[in-house]
Amino acid sequence: MKDFRKEKINYNYKKILRFFGYGILSVFGIVFLTGVLNIIFLISATVVYVNTDSSYIQGGKVMEALTPTESGYELDGEVAEKFERQDQWAMLLDQTGQVIWSIRKPEELEDRYTLSDVARMSKWYLKGYPVQIRAWDDRIMIVGMQKEMMWKYNIEFSISWMDYVKRTFWVFFFINFVWIVVLAFIFTRRFTKKRERARIEWIAGISHDIRTPLSMVMGYSDTLEQSEELPEEVRQQAAVIRHQSMVMKELIFDLNLTSQLEYSMQALRKEAVRPAEVVRSVAVSFLNDALSAMLEIDVEIDESGEQAVVKADRQLLVRAFRNLINNSVKHGGQTEAVKIKISLRKEKHNCYIRFQDNGVGYSEVVLQRLRSRTREGAAENIRGLEIVRKIILAHGGTIRFGNCEEGGGYCVIALRARGT
Amino acid sequence: MNLHDCKILLVDDEKALREMVCGFLQRAGFHEVTMAGNCKEAEEVFSDTEPHLILLDVMLPDGDGFSLLKRLRKISEVPVIFLSARDEDESRLRGLGLGADDYITKPFLAEELILRVTAVLKRVYHVKAIREEEIIALGKCLVDMGSGVVRWDSVVSEAVGREREITLTAKEYAILQKLAQERGRIVTIDALCDAVWREENYGYENTLVVHIRRLREKIEEDPSHPQYLLTVRGLGYRLV
Repeated sequence: MKDFRKEKINYNYKKILRFFGYGILSVFGIVFLTGVLNIIFLISATVVYVNTDSSYIQGGKVMEALTPTESGYELDGEVAEKFERQDQWAMLLDQTGQVIWSIRKPEELEDRYTLSDVARMSKWYLKGYPVQIRAWDDRIMIVGMQKEMMWKYNIEFSISWMDYVKRTFWVFFFINFVWIVVLAFIFTRRFTKKRERARIEWIAGISHDIRTPLSMVMGYSDTLEQSEELPEEVRQQAAVIRHQSMVMKELIFDLNLTSQLEYSMQALRKEAVRPAEVVRSVAVSFLNDALSAMLEIDVEIDESGEQAVVKADRQLLVRAFRNLINNSVKHGGQTEAVKIKISLRKEKHNCYIRFQDNGVGYSEVVLQRLRSRTREGAAENIRGLEIVRKIILAHGGTIRFGNCEEGGGYCVIALRARGT
Repeated sequence: MNLHDCKILLVDDEKALREMVCGFLQRAGFHEVTMAGNCKEAEEVFSDTEPHLILLDVMLPDGDGFSLLKRLRKISEVPVIFLSARDEDESRLRGLGLGADDYITKPFLAEELILRVTAVLKRVYHVKAIREEEIIALGKCLVDMGSGVVRWDSVVSEAVGREREITLTAKEYAILQKLAQERGRIVTIDALCDAVWREENYGYENTLVVHIRRLREKIEEDPSHPQYLLTVRGLGYRLV
């Protein structure tokens, strides 16, 4: 049972990968690239801005450039020139709020300020002039600009709020990320779905178009084969044509079915099916067929298996079981009758159907290929068995092929039983 | 009415295929076959000839066979067998519940086509051929399927101490009828239950065994060693 589970997991993993493949990879790429681009843009924009605009005069600089003299203060020539150039102004207040020094101070401004004036301008504007305030010993340096030159806004947050933001930031980030991923995924999925659909329809169209001409090949070769006026040799040749056209019919059916199962687009017509009934009817149809004279089918269904019900597409199950029996018939019975043993039982939530034959068993190459999903290797034609596997997997079941110690090959199918 | 007197209307847009199928039908003895290449023509021919059966292609140049059948169903209960080139059509057909009588996927063999046509005609019109099976011979006894009575040879009936005429119950009759229809072939337990109890037939397997035993007591010389009604272990029963 271990191998069983492994194969299922392996398959699911690959299915998920295929399902997400295009979507996830491209989304990761897009998100990553967008992030990197944003960071680069932000850094370069800041650098460019800082370099060209060397920014406004800072209070600290003015204070450094200001030297007290007997009559008041004297500003360094270079800084004074900068005030001129940048159309800025400054003033120095003493403890009482009296202006004791100023440069280019707009006329509408007063010469004396109260504490409340200072408090107000420290946050907002001084009569519409944006100002920066800096305390210097017991004096206050105010550096201002012309109106409309600077946008000021005070922000303050409680520490608990900041903590909260810090904590929730990742959640926000994650939600954003997921949202982008989902969005991109939906788009890519839609695109691939459309493409898959087109492919399936193309194959369905071809198989449809082949059927009508093939009907005539089959019909007339059959007529020729049965025509008694024709020489035996010609009738033999007609028989070959008819037989080969039937092979082609099977091929077309398989091609269509494979393409639909491959892309999981086949709308499985699931209904409540009793595997016991399906197994019996398939076995009987082989036994009733005159061609299967060299065939023995032993069906063993215990009470649990008799009662088992699965949700499945009956036609596809019939197809799968027929393929398995066909395979045993094809690869055995050269020297003795083909003996096939089919057993059915239910255990816990699964319904196990086991097919065993007395043939040569499966070669290592075939087993390898049936386990992996690769198409390389395997000289033998195992299309029929691959379809069996696809059908079972499409039903959410598992399938395992192997060889018996006493010779012959076996295949165990597990399907989820209903209503347990 | 004779089976071969039944009129058949064949609707397919492919002329070559039409001719081939027409040839099959004529060789099988159906001498009244009419043909149409599209829906419009089919409806015209239908009202002119009033066929007993229609072979209808699903894809036609001026519409699909399903909608044609819907229109025909409003005026007639004529049996219809679909000819289709798509596997998917079968599920569509089942989903639509149009009341088509059978379904053949292209490509098909002449034998298959004739078999299905004959089966549908027999079922719908109860034409001859069924009568041949009305008396089933099982060694020393004869079963009259008309009255459901088993008639034993007088010598045997005395030897094994059995009445000369035994009447079958309805269930026994249904079982025997199903087996006789498929005489020589294995019939699964499920198919038998289906024939006897119709729907909701699950769970009758054990009851079936009881009915089979009673049936054997009526038709077999030695019921514990049956010669005619044989058990195929694990699968079903067979009437030889």
